[in-house]
Amino acid sequence: MAMTGTGKPSGGGATAGGGILSGEAATTYFERRRNDRMRKALIWTGVALVLLWCIQVTIIADTDWERIGGRFGVLGSIGRFLLLDFSLLPHLLVPAIETMMIATLGTILGCFLALPVAWFGARNVTPSLYIFYPIGRFMMVLSRSVHEIIWAILFVGAVGLGALPGILAVAVRSIGFISKITAEAIENIDPKPVEAIRAVGGNQFQVMYYGILPQIMPVVLGTIIFEWDINIRRAAVMGLVGAGGLGLVFFRQMAMFNYGGVTMVLLAILVLIIIGEIVSHYARKAVT
Amino acid sequence: MSSQDMNTPRPAAPPQWTRFPFPETLIRYSALLGVLVFLAWSVHFLNLDLQRVLGAFPRLGAILADRYFPPELGFILDQRFLMSVLNTIQMSILGGAFGVLLAIPLAWFASHNVTLHRWIFYPFGRLSIMGCRAIHETIWTILFVTVIGFGMFAGVLALTMFCIGFAGKLFSDEIEAIDMKPVEALRSTGAGPLQVFVFGVLPQVKIAFVGISIYTWDVAFRAATVVGFFGGGGMGWYLQRATYELQSTRVAAILLTIIALVSISEVVSGWLRQRLAGERLA
Repeated sequence: MAMTGTGKPSGGGATAGGGILSGEAATTYFERRRNDRMRKALIWTGVALVLLWCIQVTIIADTDWERIGGRFGVLGSIGRFLLLDFSLLPHLLVPAIETMMIATLGTILGCFLALPVAWFGARNVTPSLYIFYPIGRFMMVLSRSVHEIIWAILFVGAVGLGALPGILAVAVRSIGFISKITAEAIENIDPKPVEAIRAVGGNQFQVMYYGILPQIMPVVLGTIIFEWDINIRRAAVMGLVGAGGLGLVFFRQMAMFNYGGVTMVLLAILVLIIIGEIVSHYARKAVT
Repeated sequence: MSSQDMNTPRPAAPPQWTRFPFPETLIRYSALLGVLVFLAWSVHFLNLDLQRVLGAFPRLGAILADRYFPPELGFILDQRFLMSVLNTIQMSILGGAFGVLLAIPLAWFASHNVTLHRWIFYPFGRLSIMGCRAIHETIWTILFVTVIGFGMFAGVLALTMFCIGFAGKLFSDEIEAIDMKPVEALRSTGAGPLQVFVFGVLPQVKIAFVGISIYTWDVAFRAATVVGFFGGGGMGWYLQRATYELQSTRVAAILLTIIALVSISEVVSGWLRQRLAGERLA
């Protein structure tokens, strides 16, 4: 700060001494720069004040500091997680496979559900700009703004416990992102192939299949693979509200206060995520 | 004659043109087959009834219309609920801010081109960002609740971890895409790694970082609406209570509030980022 403070007047002196710039231009430039700095300082002060207020309300006033029990209390509670429970290892395989399956099936189902939404929500191919386009856009917002846990609760209420509500929740949650990217890709296509196919007498289906699909395919496939990667971590928590997979094991270990087992579940999730990241890395390379 | 023969050996017969040549097609179709087999196996393994899958959406619609339909909108105006909405916003701001602040050094470590040390700091940064990203925010909430106890502090910490993972990945992608010439210039004048980061890297990514931070807040707000479900404070707590007490109309009211607030936050963050992009051009 001090450096810039001293640097500013000397810079001004140099331009004035050079006499190349007119004095008026220089003052407006420095005035503008000063105003800019003032504005930035105001913004940052505002941000800092808001942060302090948030800290006061949510952390200092709301925390039960007695219960935490000082530094040793926190270290003790963290230490309980570090005693790994290796006896849980054989019981983790099936839930891990289930989690992977929920993520995969959910992503595939999400793609199919995203197809009409993307079709409705893309400005240049939508059947009706005043009826279907807003519907498509609303579906995208709805799918993205409701958290996967809430979707899972709704679907558990609708179809009962098991893997199915997890798959449906993951699918519905993926609709938003996949269809948004797909709709954007459709809006940005090169219209010439579409016109060419129309000109030689192609029908609506042929226009879609030969004109639009090849252009958006790499983007869409990349997005789907990316979404699958995210869906693994979503599928891992579906069990918390009764929908199978590793989340259920996590919930049970937590309920039994077996913190070593909890850590094992977390490690299993980490392994799944690493596998997913490696697979998606190579798959994305292959499709683009 | 000899040069032509050596450079371009003619194939015996001109091969038939196919859209995909031989090994590519094989890989493509076997990958597709593998995915399909995995799907079929999972449907069998998870014991899914396809009729139930197809019937799920009509049933969800029926249940929403039947049990959730007249949302108890009066509950939204409840003083304590409004307070919890404010708390949710505060939690998301704090979690986003802490997460972004912690993510910047981690992203510095985790970007391959300017990292401090490729064998010590690079894997450390990568692993911590990936660990934060791998564990879902609800699981972070449960973990912090067991360590710290119920309340917003646990929620803020969980959101912080979530934001480290989210922002750290985007930050390190951004850093890896910078122009390396200023960095080299600074290095050649003998600048240390911190000086290189502050004067060579940060000016290039500053505006992008601010944009990513706003986006991170947006996503953190979405996550903040549910951390309360697992004891992290905020409006999620009311959602959990209403869900477990089977007060479906109240759940519907809370869900509508969440959708409205998330839409507003999306509009706000989009507007801020658009202004930022305008500033970048000017």
